[in-house]
Amino acid sequence: MPITRRGLGLAAAATGLAMPAIAQNEPIKIGWLAAMTGPSSAPAIGFNRGVMYAAEAINAAGGVKGRKVEIITRDTQGDPTKAVNATQEMISQLRVHAIWGPTNSGESLAVTAIMARAKMPNIHPCVVDSLIDPAKYPNAFRIAPSNTQWDDAVRGYTLNIAKAKKVAVIGDTTGYGVTAANASAAAFQKDGAEVVTKANIDATQPDMTPDMLRARNAGAQAIVIWSVSTGMIARLLNTRAAMGWDVPFIGHPSLASGEIGTLIDKPANWEKVYAIGYKSCSYDASGKLPPRNEELMQRMQGKVNLHDTLLWWVACGIDAVELVAKAVEATGATANQSIIGHWNSLKQYPGYFGEYSFTAQDHNGYPVSDVVMSAASTGKNGTFALAPGYG
Amino acid sequence: MLASILASGLAVGAVYALIGITYNTMFSTSRVMSFTAGQLGMLGGVLGSLFILRLGLPMPVGLLATLACCALLGVVTEVVAVRPVLKSLDQHLYVLSTLAVALLIQHATALEWSTEPQPFPRLAGIGTGVWDEKYWLPVVACAATILGLEYLYRYTLVGRAFVAIAEDNFAARALGLPERNLRMASYALAGAVGALAGFAGGQLLLAFFANGPLLNFYGFIPVALGGLGNNRGAVIGGLLLGLFQQAANFMVGGIFSSVAVFTLFIIVLLARPQGMFGAPAARRV
Repeated sequence: MPITRRGLGLAAAATGLAMPAIAQNEPIKIGWLAAMTGPSSAPAIGFNRGVMYAAEAINAAGGVKGRKVEIITRDTQGDPTKAVNATQEMISQLRVHAIWGPTNSGESLAVTAIMARAKMPNIHPCVVDSLIDPAKYPNAFRIAPSNTQWDDAVRGYTLNIAKAKKVAVIGDTTGYGVTAANASAAAFQKDGAEVVTKANIDATQPDMTPDMLRARNAGAQAIVIWSVSTGMIARLLNTRAAMGWDVPFIGHPSLASGEIGTLIDKPANWEKVYAIGYKSCSYDASGKLPPRNEELMQRMQGKVNLHDTLLWWVACGIDAVELVAKAVEATGATANQSIIGHWNSLKQYPGYFGEYSFTAQDHNGYPVSDVVMSAASTGKNGTFALAPGYG
Repeated sequence: MLASILASGLAVGAVYALIGITYNTMFSTSRVMSFTAGQLGMLGGVLGSLFILRLGLPMPVGLLATLACCALLGVVTEVVAVRPVLKSLDQHLYVLSTLAVALLIQHATALEWSTEPQPFPRLAGIGTGVWDEKYWLPVVACAATILGLEYLYRYTLVGRAFVAIAEDNFAARALGLPERNLRMASYALAGAVGALAGFAGGQLLLAFFANGPLLNFYGFIPVALGGLGNNRGAVIGGLLLGLFQQAANFMVGGIFSSVAVFTLFIIVLLARPQGMFGAPAARRV
């Protein structure tokens, strides 16, 4: 059959008319940059359980206006290079509608600018403050606390609830440990507290006795910890017990890591240790979570394993998928600007992990009031008891 | 307080001293500084935890199994990383080959064991406070090792053969000593000494794959301070290092204590390049 201009025009018109119909049925594609393997895989495994649970629940209920949610996962192994490659693939080849992740700051620092150039709607839970900047990265939204929010929560608890005015700030010698300890010490001093010692300790240092003696001699009333090294934390706790000192330890979520329980000399060494936690995932004196998450736990029973993970990781994964789905539902579109515009208008959106609020000027959506301290040794199905002192 | 710092310093120093002896034992028969010394110490902790805590073996059996495994690893190191480069010692290829084996050991441990520190069992359950076994066990192990090595080198035929090889490799071979077998035996011995360091210090170091580089580094300082090949010098150097390091941790803390340690190290080497107890090498002309 000869090809004519009229024929071509008709074909083009027909294709053009058909496009909206295809878009209406096309699945909502969410890219998921997950460090599912490698040394920092524990959070991503937890997040993934929430992501899959949410996607299955939405699809089982008929999808979003008839459109299924499709999760496209790439294992970044915690490696920024692999995260960059996966991001490029998601933007250029897979043409996803939004990206959830990465879930650690090292990877996120590598991919945030790439996503910004592509105007790709992005939600992540990474703590480094500079990852959120609506002027530079208008596409990036954080649904977990930032480092500053963690710092504020720890300082608030130390000064106002533990009533400690003289603190020893201890970090490890990693980049994170040094910057977090410096920032924390500066903020304590700004708030009128006395930082009696500040130290960065090599996580493999065999014995912590001299460092703890130094803190005690300086009159520390609380030890503030900024480290992910469970070995170092356990050594500090064992040394505290050997010294017969009952000073509280307050700080990084790693203080509540299950690994600590295997490394301390006796369970009592883990008492008076308060780790950063979240109101939504903390149980009260009667052992109950907030009603919304109590109900979520009931629904997930038998479907999502919570014995070896944290509830906040799972809840945050659910929220990420639902935030994309709700944006498409509200705007009826999967265009980048529609999703970003919807997120910018959210005010106290009731997620399972927290109530998120965003504006065009502020993409730190997690409320600082929801960051609380947990009693570190009370882990139960990924949840913790509130530290003493909360009404 | 002083007692706590002394106990802590002597314990850590004894571990460093044992790693220094491990370096020396391998060096004496091969003239090679094998950078697997720290990894042998790391494996002492990891294998001890594996045999006693995970597999439930009695402590003496766990200790023997740990020493045997590391002795075997010492022999493997000699075969794959030392023997092939002995002919070109002046090119210092052993630095690369032994570092490669060290990295292999570290990564294999991370993959098969854990990337997180794991608990190490209490061994004798004796003592509390500054007399806790975690402080005196490394010191006792160090004392036993140095006494055992003195006995070996002075009163046994094999030990005298080690000394002969260390003194003059060519002359010893000319006299018919089995140089290769003796070298392998010294690497096995070094493996056991390194393992003992990690085992005795396991309650301080924990069973952690990342302990290797720390022990490699701080175990080398007693060798340099005490004089290469001088075990007594390594013990004194190690104990002094441990005491100084823990005192610096108390006085200045954290990163600054490492700066203090290495400043002193450089000052000592500037004053006595051959080490505190080493003699300048004599060369026949």
